[in-house]
Amino acid sequence: GDMLQKPRSRGRPNSQAERERDWGRGAAEEAPSTSRGAGSSQEARSASSQGSRRAEASPEVGPRSQQQLELKVAELVQFLLIKDQKKIPIKRTDILKHVIGDYKDIFPDLLKLAAERLEYVFGYKLVELEPKSNTYILINTLEPVEEDAEVRGDQGTPTTGLLMIVLGLIFMKGNTIKETEVWDFLRRLGVYPTKKHLVFGDPKKLITEEFVRQRYLEYRRIPHTDPVDYELQWGPRTNLETSKMKVLKFVAKVHNQDPKDWPAQYCEALADEEARARPETSGPAPSS
Amino acid sequence: MTSNHTPAPSHTQGGPRRAGVMTDVHRRFLQLLMTHGVLEEWDVRRLQKHCYRVHDRTAAVEELEDFINNINSVLESLYIEIKKGATEDDGRPVYALVNLATTSVSKMASDFAENELDLFRKALELIIDSETGFASSTNILNLVDQLKGKKMRKKEAEQVLQKFVQNKWLIEKEGEFTLHSRAILEMEQYIRETYPDAVKICNICHSLLIQGQSCETCGIRMHLPCVAKYFQSNSEPRCPHCNDYWPHEIPEVFDPEKEREAATSRATKRSLRSRQH
Repeated sequence: GDMLQKPRSRGRPNSQAERERDWGRGAAEEAPSTSRGAGSSQEARSASSQGSRRAEASPEVGPRSQQQLELKVAELVQFLLIKDQKKIPIKRTDILKHVIGDYKDIFPDLLKLAAERLEYVFGYKLVELEPKSNTYILINTLEPVEEDAEVRGDQGTPTTGLLMIVLGLIFMKGNTIKETEVWDFLRRLGVYPTKKHLVFGDPKKLITEEFVRQRYLEYRRIPHTDPVDYELQWGPRTNLETSKMKVLKFVAKVHNQDPKDWPAQYCEALADEEARARPETSGPAPSS
Repeated sequence: MTSNHTPAPSHTQGGPRRAGVMTDVHRRFLQLLMTHGVLEEWDVRRLQKHCYRVHDRTAAVEELEDFINNINSVLESLYIEIKKGATEDDGRPVYALVNLATTSVSKMASDFAENELDLFRKALELIIDSETGFASSTNILNLVDQLKGKKMRKKEAEQVLQKFVQNKWLIEKEGEFTLHSRAILEMEQYIRETYPDAVKICNICHSLLIQGQSCETCGIRMHLPCVAKYFQSNSEPRCPHCNDYWPHEIPEVFDPEKEREAATSRATKRSLRSRQH
């Protein structure tokens, strides 16, 4: 339900759309908001608009003011930024439920505008995780640099560390690897599936659950194995955020060698680079 | 290498400013600033320099105020801004990216459960209603039965309060809680609208006041850093409203230079000690 609702009830019914939003919107009247129906004129962002009591009628699908559209795009941008921080792909249904609401008829335009702002202002590109998946992630158009770590307030995306090692293992082994093989390797680095790790916490959970949920990895049971074994592959986010060449370069760096020292993988990475260079299909057009 | 996109159309409804231009310097700055809930000015300058170093080594680092104003002119159409404030206890300048449109705590709402958010709301109300700007742990925990959502025990509520402290929504001092500068920056508008009768305002800067000093005669209030600035080098401080003698100790004005010296000397002492091991 709404988080910080005003304690003093003003006797006006909240519209269904508002109640559904666990987006944490307070029922602030004076602040600009798009939930008060079409055509109502409001003060831009002044907190001191003269406390007018507006009837909380259900919003009609009439002409919407420029400001309301702007606000809706702003809400959508905020929503996408905050959701992406958790690195969980954003579902189209969630966007429609929590932000778009009655503006459903212009959803594609709102999404397109939001995507433009996200890229121009923040440097994030909104992309669909897989074609027709109706889930989205944000890709950083800026390359992370090592020194970012010194000025950021959180851990950032795992560009180095356990995920990169696993991604490297998978690629070097021909794009798929058995879970048992992963642990055989990681054990040598002092990382165990059953032991708590100082930096990674629970490595098993991190690899088989967290990274999978974030779509960096795919984790599938191998049928007819006893004891049961699983295979790990790159997930859709990995292909969007990094590349075979980048991962190969990482592996080479770790071994203090050159990517070309692995000719088969180098060829594969080159082919992948060429495929990427070909013109891509346009933006996050929501599939109908 | 900076990359310039065509500037977005500016928000022209009576807006006097033409929207500025974003480059990768500004984008990286925004991205990294967003990873902090709130950031002290010195760290903001460090962050700015870092972004220049990554994208535009040869350019002169723009004056921070202009740099931020430029970004804010672009953020205007998204109803967010980089807001500058000051810590209430010692007047350190701080910055946070805040929401201008909806006045709820949407960023908080995504990090906490319904009952946790309600606990924060209860604490917020106690803080605003208090004389000192602090609410005791006991008083907050006694409200645990009134929370919306899943039932929460006092033990759990204690941990949630610590989570608020870690995430810079609350500050704890000797078992009492007050609002972090982050919360004040983000929620000032919301607080003023939601609690118009209980809210306290500083007589000098006219912003929301949680902690401060008050005149014992006429009751007006002032932030500690506002007191410091207003009464600077005044041997006989008098209330600006009723002219009665100001009975409280006048704090020092925050000096960033002195602060940096102290911080550097602490760091040097620490590194010398560690090298001895």
